[in-house]
Amino acid sequence: MTMSPRTRKVALTAHVASSVGWFGAVAVFLALAVSGLTSHDAQRVRAAYLAMELTGWLVIVPFALASLLTGLVSSLGTTWGLVRYYWVLIKLVITVLATIVLLVHMQPISGLADMAAETTLADSDLGALRIQVMVQAGAALLVLLLATALSVYKPRGVTRYGWRRQQEQDEGSQA
Amino acid sequence: MTDHGSHPDSDGDHRVGPRVPARHGSAPSTPRWVRVFGAVVVVLVLVLVVVHLAGGGMGNHG
Repeated sequence: MTMSPRTRKVALTAHVASSVGWFGAVAVFLALAVSGLTSHDAQRVRAAYLAMELTGWLVIVPFALASLLTGLVSSLGTTWGLVRYYWVLIKLVITVLATIVLLVHMQPISGLADMAAETTLADSDLGALRIQVMVQAGAALLVLLLATALSVYKPRGVTRYGWRRQQEQDEGSQA
Repeated sequence: MTDHGSHPDSDGDHRVGPRVPARHGSAPSTPRWVRVFGAVVVVLVLVLVVVHLAGGGMGNHG
């Protein structure tokens, strides 16, 4: 099923917007994580972790799901396909894994926010978790940057499935 | 997942996507960049698993 040019551009616009939103929201999340870890102001720390929970559930998760969905539509609606080219396939795997990891790790982030709301976090409270949240936000940015680079460079490489489909199309057009 | 913006397809072209010349004969081998990427991913996953098993993970999920 190939989309019309107009539909394709709508899908592509939605995909780029949601992907850019995802990246930007994770950058904000990282800034909040750094602030929550390094600040000595109790009110600032509390605000940072509460904002991280809101940013995660209300911005990052919706953008991640939208990016995945619009990416599926964009690839399936064109001759790029979903598993014909390595760069598309790898980008799909990256997006799916990143979304799963995000959803799994939102629960402890909510716990961190709950604790910040109820008590005043000292510098040493939940230190390992606070560091890990910050490191994972940085890693998420790198992963999303990699996915963006794959879209821009589109490195060569046809999968065996894509090669077979090309062969079938060639034989069909010659018949 | 796919960005077709940089592709030289025209607005009136419904066959949007790559135009790779057909190759006959044997199937193409896996590109080197894919093999390197796969190796890096395997190493990173192993590191993550070791970190989690060593007790430095996210604690109790859920």
